[in-house]
Amino acid sequence: MDFPILTVLILLPFAAAIIVALLPSRRKELFLPVGIALSFLPVALAVYLFFVFKTGEAGFQFVESVPWYAPWGISWHVGVDGISLLMIVLTGILMPISLAASTSISKRMKQFVVFNLILEGGLMGVFLSLDMFMFFVFFEVILIPMYFIIGVWGSERRIYAAVKFFLFTALGSALMLAGIIAMALMYAHQNGGIISFDYLGWLTLQMPLHTEMWLFAAFAIAFAIKVPMFPFHTWLPDAHVEAPTAGSVMLAGVLLKMGTYGLLRFNLGLFPHATLKFVPVMAVLAVIGIVYGAAVAIVQPNLKKLVAYSSVSHLGFIVLGIFALTSQGLEGGVVQMFNHGVTTGALFLLVGMIYERRHTKEISEFGGIQKVMPIFAGFFLFTAFASIGLPSLSGFVGEFLILMGSFLTLKWYAIIAASGVILAAVYLLWAYERVFTGPITKPENEKLLDLDAREKTLLVVLAALMLLIGLYPKIALDKIGPSTEAVLDRIQATTTYQPPAPGRLADVLGGIGGE
Amino acid sequence: MSDVNVSYLAIGPEVLLTLGAVVVLMVDVFRKPSPRVHAWLAALTLVLAGIAVGFQWSAATTDGPSLSFAGMVTTDTFGAYAGFVLLGVAALGLASAWGMIVELGRRGAEGVVLVFMAAAGFMVMATAVNLVLIFVGLEIASMSLYVLAGITRKTLQADEAALKYFLLGSFASAVFIYGAALTFAGSGSLSVYDIHQFFASYVVLKQNVLLVGMALLVVGVAFKVSAAPFHMWAPDAYQGSPAGIVGFMVAAAKVGAFAALARILVYGFSAFSHEWTTGLSLLSAISIVVGMLLAVVQTDIRRMLAYSSVAHAGFILSALTAGGGGVPAMWFYVAVYAVQVIGAFTVVAAVAGPSGGASPLSDYTGLAERSPLLAGSLAFFMIAMSGVPLTSGFIAKFGAFTFAWLAGFQWLVILAVVASVAGFFFYLRVIVLMYMHDPVPVEAPGAVTGGFEAVGAVRWVLIITVAITLVLGIIPGPLLDVARQAFPF
Repeated sequence: MDFPILTVLILLPFAAAIIVALLPSRRKELFLPVGIALSFLPVALAVYLFFVFKTGEAGFQFVESVPWYAPWGISWHVGVDGISLLMIVLTGILMPISLAASTSISKRMKQFVVFNLILEGGLMGVFLSLDMFMFFVFFEVILIPMYFIIGVWGSERRIYAAVKFFLFTALGSALMLAGIIAMALMYAHQNGGIISFDYLGWLTLQMPLHTEMWLFAAFAIAFAIKVPMFPFHTWLPDAHVEAPTAGSVMLAGVLLKMGTYGLLRFNLGLFPHATLKFVPVMAVLAVIGIVYGAAVAIVQPNLKKLVAYSSVSHLGFIVLGIFALTSQGLEGGVVQMFNHGVTTGALFLLVGMIYERRHTKEISEFGGIQKVMPIFAGFFLFTAFASIGLPSLSGFVGEFLILMGSFLTLKWYAIIAASGVILAAVYLLWAYERVFTGPITKPENEKLLDLDAREKTLLVVLAALMLLIGLYPKIALDKIGPSTEAVLDRIQATTTYQPPAPGRLADVLGGIGGE
Repeated sequence: MSDVNVSYLAIGPEVLLTLGAVVVLMVDVFRKPSPRVHAWLAALTLVLAGIAVGFQWSAATTDGPSLSFAGMVTTDTFGAYAGFVLLGVAALGLASAWGMIVELGRRGAEGVVLVFMAAAGFMVMATAVNLVLIFVGLEIASMSLYVLAGITRKTLQADEAALKYFLLGSFASAVFIYGAALTFAGSGSLSVYDIHQFFASYVVLKQNVLLVGMALLVVGVAFKVSAAPFHMWAPDAYQGSPAGIVGFMVAAAKVGAFAALARILVYGFSAFSHEWTTGLSLLSAISIVVGMLLAVVQTDIRRMLAYSSVAHAGFILSALTAGGGGVPAMWFYVAVYAVQVIGAFTVVAAVAGPSGGASPLSDYTGLAERSPLLAGSLAFFMIAMSGVPLTSGFIAKFGAFTFAWLAGFQWLVILAVVASVAGFFFYLRVIVLMYMHDPVPVEAPGAVTGGFEAVGAVRWVLIITVAITLVLGIIPGPLLDVARQAFPF
């Protein structure tokens, strides 16, 4: 316990970035392998953390707290609970995979690896911070590497996409900064002038409802842009289409989860009264996102844009699950955050692999290529099934829990949202049909090479995770459950909210841990 | 008042800087040395002056603030902090402008002397407690800067810059001295301490003269810090002056003028704090909005940095809206912004040539491929100025906004954070040009295409300014502690 595992997890990628930056510039062949090798250290640590994490405890574990600048009440305060644990593991796993998928990067490889590693460190910081100042620092710092990754290594309209990405998200976090300052000063006002950015301390704040609603809005807009929720989603398709494969994988896989994580951790945690007031708004926007994202995905002529819009739809499910305010919804939301990272990460990898071969992402350029690339086609179909939510694959677990949880409190929303599952089957399977089945229509496609060993390895890892969560969700749910229960406990304790009878695991199982 | 109370410590740094200037000039006249000798003399002078400031600081922290020269000059941590920053700014500014000084040849010594005189003048502004002496410091510094703006005598643009700077600056000085006169008329004294005393001992029934006097003092200083709507001179002066020295001009003026502003308002006019915090909040809001919006449409990086400096003046003013409590935040902001702006103009100077004229943004296209160090540094300063975390710029903004919020100016904070996002747009544009565009093909007419070497002093200035900006972004504690101590009244 004395080993500061969380601090090391945050600092390790930064240290790795410095090591790569210090490699001699003429040894171009070293940058990527060294970067990949170094990014295995955080994975190892994250997986270790996953197994030493005490199941059945709701609170934060491995907490470390050191004053950063005491007069301002800012501290280096980290901790992990069931909600952040899977995000850490996801970040760790996706980084070496997305680096290993970047062998085709032709220019400024060193900077590319460095920015990716900085990105990883920032993400770890976001999910582990328990100090709001520190959280904001990492939340904002992440923009810089991602901005460069899209803007330097992206495709034709990369600059437009990078700037749009940056400005959208910066606008959201600017308002959140004002909210954070307001909260810290409110804390000082209520605690004898001692200013503090400690998340746990902020949980004790008392505030009038209208203040709470303003603050909820300031935080929610920042996170809604990040998720992205309708109508803030327009930056996402641009960013995804232009980003290099590694950028897309990290963006969809982890960066978007910062939004849903923030909504769950901070909006639900800090503003329980306002949460209840805002449930209809958030649920409506989530359902619009689900249906709209899926509908737009169906008609996309561009494979990458299709996957991007599918993210809007899937993230809508997660938001719906969170604001259902039931055990099942919250648990499903968190596990779906992990699943979406894995499946969409895999889909972007697949799109990247076919793009490297044909230099196009237009669906109409393909057709019948399962004859020349059977293994590729197999992985694509497998991932598509996981994404759609076929039972025994990971997507099913999350979406089932979310729909079950939201049906209890947001009945009609859940019914409409369920159509998103069907639409997902439409856009993914129809895309599969157009790309892979039938006769080969284009002569360029006849000579396509199937996946090599490196590509297979990357996909096998992700496919194994889809299967694991699909067949044995308990491994994740056991760790998540107590922490999401604690969120609901707090809402119930501070407000008059009562979830309907089977809406709490406690109702079903007769007490937490009553198995 | 009758007690003259001579204290050499109180004016030690200024005396040393002036002596250094005289020595440099004399050595130049009699020995006609190489620029290297000037460099050593300059370094020696700055170190000695720095030691003197160190003594001031330790005297002020152990014995508290003290007055000397018949209540004209004070030795306190506030003035000593300004002295530290000004000497650092002078050192970095000289190093950054060294290419220009070498290029000036026989007149190179003048450049060193003028930088010293400007620094000495601003130090007088920061340590003086008498409005007339503050004015004298302001004039010494301003005159030096006017001459520095036109020192190369090469381009019409530089002459225009110097003249415009001189005319508008003189006008501002006149406004300031008129404000001092009205203040004297209202309170019967020119000393900031006596004015404070005056408010404490009398019930002032007719405040209007004093209010107008205070407003004119603020306007005079607002010119110097290029706060909108008193910023019109800044873009032209920044664009026309030799690139190497602009960073120093901006940074030193901000330090000296903000020191005087804080001392006059927070101490002298503490009784009017409601009036002037409201006034400063308006000035701050106008500066932020005008600076950010006009920076967006600039095509010359120096004009862009000029408008960004207008916006930064607004951010710094927002810290002062909290009255005395905001002074540490102001000090932190001023110091870190001074470092950033010098670093940024060092890159501009390296790209435009040390005494070069205009710096169109197109010169920066694909700079990352040509000059990684310059491009990387400039990108970092852009990120810092836009206020991204893990740079000193974020901590500075955070501090300023926190105090403004605490003082009840929530609207100003919300305006400022939203304007910061607009700021991202033009700061990022520089990065876009440097990193995301390919270098211009050589055939393009009139394009600056070659690589630029960051040699000698320039390289060191960049490394030091980047390091300071990064380290203070991660570990702001030490400087924040010092800034908190630098508020003795």
